Amino acid sequence: MKPAAFDYCRPASIDEAAAALASSDSAKVLAGGQSLVPSMNFRISQPSLLVDIRDVEGLDGLEVDQDGVSIGASVTQSRVMNSDEAYSAVPGLRRALRFVGHLQIRNRGTVCGSLAHADPAAELPALAMAAGARLTVRGPQGERTAAADGFYLGPYWTGLEQSEIITGVCFPAEAPGTVTVVDEIARRSGDFAVVGLAAAFDLEDGSVGGARLVSFGVSGRPQRLAAAEEAVRGFHAGAAGDGLYGAAYEDAADAVGDIHASGEYRREALGSLLVRTARAVSASNGGKAGAR
Amino acid sequence: MTSDQGSREIDLTVTINGMEVRRRVPARLLLSDFIRDEVGLTGTHVGCEHGYCGACTVIADGDAIRSCSTLAVQVDGSDIRTVEDLASDGELTPMQQAFHENHAMQCGFCTAGFLMTLESVDPDDYREPEQVVELLSGNLCRCTGYQNIVKAVCSVWGVEGRRRDSQ
Ligand SMILES: Cc1cc2nc3c(=O)[nH]c(=O)nc-3n(C[C@H](O)[C@H](O)[C@H](O)COP(=O)(O)OP(=O)(O)OC[C@H]3O[C@@H](n4cnc5c(N)ncnc54)[C@H](O)[C@@H]3O)c2cc1C
Ligand code: FES
Ligand code: FES
Repeated sequence: MKPAAFDYCRPASIDEAAAALASSDSAKVLAGGQSLVPSMNFRISQPSLLVDIRDVEGLDGLEVDQDGVSIGASVTQSRVMNSDEAYSAVPGLRRALRFVGHLQIRNRGTVCGSLAHADPAAELPALAMAAGARLTVRGPQGERTAAADGFYLGPYWTGLEQSEIITGVCFPAEAPGTVTVVDEIARRSGDFAVVGLAAAFDLEDGSVGGARLVSFGVSGRPQRLAAAEEAVRGFHAGAAGDGLYGAAYEDAADAVGDIHASGEYRREALGSLLVRTARAVSASNGGKAGAR
Repeated sequence: MTSDQGSREIDLTVTINGMEVRRRVPARLLLSDFIRDEVGLTGTHVGCEHGYCGACTVIADGDAIRSCSTLAVQVDGSDIRTVEDLASDGELTPMQQAFHENHAMQCGFCTAGFLMTLESVDPDDYREPEQVVELLSGNLCRCTGYQNIVKAVCSVWGVEGRRRDSQ
């Protein structure tokens, strides 16, 4: 239950951090350490070099403007959750973060670290997909941006190369008429979701014009629900839920079973969660549904 | 396996309970082990060592954190507080006193973690029993069944009313 030995560095610039990360193919970025240190304690992960990015200049910004919320790589989950400006521009952030671990985890864990770690049951990658967030990535060849939608390839597996660092993420401001909600079923408060849903509904006169629906904790990665996105068009508070339920059930055909729940349970629970959420959101007609 | 990019041992300076501590430590040393074995403050307990139980909770620069899931080098330059910092001259804090009076501990293994979580927050943010319960969800207790812990906290913070759920 102790990490194996490794080398450690704490560079002050992104160039030095990128060079350090490229120096060994088992080097890893250390952000909050809230996923990495426990996995090193178990020796599931044995990096040769940790590149601690906490002192890297330019990564600690949390900026909110009319375009949205930009979050640097060293910004903690608590800092974003406690920002009223971030909440009013992108309400989904606080709605997702309240499910992420506990206070003590969020005080050190970073938003970008969660996006990089890609736990299939994590809230933030799914929210990033539903909200249309973009990541900024720095590698040996320079900087690129990547849409969160398409970034997630499998459990703990993303489009990030080993030598790349996520320097920040930008969540676009929630458009007028859009309501973003995050909800999940978990065994206890703070546990990873058994079944979760991040959803951005575009509402027109109390019915759903369109939506971006993303499940988490259901299959091996956060997943867009294509059939449900079709079925939800025109949904309103009084609509029968069967079609929507069935579409989500089909979308979740590759749901996985584990000690917490069977794949079948996850498919059914996802359908119920979606119908419940779509009802609440359309009943509130773009008001305060999901705000907690 | 040494690289020219980093080192195995790091010079560290932290303030623990108001006392400055300088040590050269292995990069792999956990903050919990630094506090217990290097500094000799054994009030911070270690249960699961992977971030779940909260027994190892300490305060770093005002925030409650898991010392078992934090490397000592990650808090270089920080101000750390542990449970030893609470009582002064043998006089318990109101929260410690309330734990005692409400029988909010049995074996006591979890107690330091609960106390440090509670010490780190502003009671004004927790006015409903549900909010207290949610705050405490990151600390596990195998003995008390939590009821007496919640009772102790509510008594000190003046939180009234019945809980709507029994999560
Ligand atoms: C008890 C417990 C409960 C938790 N519950 C939840 C939960 O319910 N939901 C949830 O989503 N999470 C949960 N977490 C995980 C937590 O949110 C982590 O903080 C987060 O997943 C990782 O963020 P970090 O900053 O701590 O990253 P680290 O642990 O430092 O890093 C995690 C991984 O990402 C890589 N990485 C980090 N930052 C970058 C970057 N900028 N660029 C490239 N790679 C990077 C690291 O190399 C490493 O592989 C829980 C953790 C614990 C211990
Ligand atoms: S010992 Fe740190 S959380 Fe359990
Ligand atoms: S009193 Fe024994 S674990 Fe809490």
